Amino acid sequence: MTDALVISNVVLWVVVLALLVAVFALARQIGILYERVAPMGALMIDSGPAVGDPAPRLELPTLDGGRLAVGAAGLHSQLLFFVSPTCPVCKKLLPIVKSIAAAEAGWLRVVFASDGEAQAHVAMRRRAALEAFPYVLSSELGMAFRVGKLPYAVLLDEAGRVRAKGLVNSREQLESLFTAKELNVASVQDYVAGQGVGR
Amino acid sequence: MLDPTLPQMFAAALAIVLLGGAWHKLRDMEGFVAAVEQYRLLPAALTAPAAWLLLAVELAAGVLLLPLATRAGGAWLALALLALVTTAVAINLRRGRRDIDCGCGGPEGGPHLSWGLVLRNGVLGAAALLAVAAPAPRELVWLDRLTVLAGALALWGLYAAANQLMANQPRLLRLRNRTP
Repeated sequence: MTDALVISNVVLWVVVLALLVAVFALARQIGILYERVAPMGALMIDSGPAVGDPAPRLELPTLDGGRLAVGAAGLHSQLLFFVSPTCPVCKKLLPIVKSIAAAEAGWLRVVFASDGEAQAHVAMRRRAALEAFPYVLSSELGMAFRVGKLPYAVLLDEAGRVRAKGLVNSREQLESLFTAKELNVASVQDYVAGQGVGR
Repeated sequence: MLDPTLPQMFAAALAIVLLGGAWHKLRDMEGFVAAVEQYRLLPAALTAPAAWLLLAVELAAGVLLLPLATRAGGAWLALALLALVTTAVAINLRRGRRDIDCGCGGPEGGPHLSWGLVLRNGVLGAAALLAVAAPAPRELVWLDRLTVLAGALALWGLYAAANQLMANQPRLLRLRNRTP
């Protein structure tokens, strides 16, 4: 009798642990599914002004109290970098954006954009030493480009056209926007797809 | 009086949870410091030292829980840590700031703040109390080892599954609120 109970106990433990592994795996897969079918992500990239279209021209207030023209034709391309003080990935990318701005200063002007209360933005700007860059606070701008998830970047060329845009989480993704502009394709994904068709 | 396997089981499970959490934080320390900052409870200069201190306490509590001699110390340390971080979560929930990462998940970001998180920490605190409960004297046999080991792993599995479901919650809400 005792032997039978011992064996049943061991078998039950094995089954319980196996079931828990299965439950955890299912919960993880459900999480991944939610992420994949969510409206943010790939879908978001396709909304807002399309690549090649002229960007909406806006005159926006900056954090310094001045005004900044976005989307107007000029001497330089503009990189609109949408950030928020509450986004950890944005914080990680700020030094990278600064180094890119210095390296590409010949043709590119970086503009930081966000919305909400000025106080938190002033604090973040001081901490990250972004005083050299224009910093726009406007929900209008984010709405014009249908920015859903941060950090989001939009590259506008000298004529004020959208040349590349998307969610950026790393230096490579940010640089892919410049590559897309140089190759004259909407995104690196488009370029890869185009190569595939040509073959 | 509890059977002697139960305090051992809870101590071992809590140790795995704490050491696993410390390991995740150590792998993405930058992210954890940012998460601590998000709680907006400390001046900026103290954020990084506080994050390292939390990590050190979590690690120490996890290690101390394992040997029988130091188990009580580890359990009280774990309880103090849980009380501290749960207070931080509750303060931010009262401020209405639910959209921040709890800083307690894996590398892909853990659950956001919710009262569920407070409940989860309450359950962990109860496990810490059970770990120091005085066991009834009983002679342990080989099967008790299996009970302790498998029981601890099962509790850890439940914890991981609950955590994952909590992390899924905001994603599900986003999906539900989507305008077709």
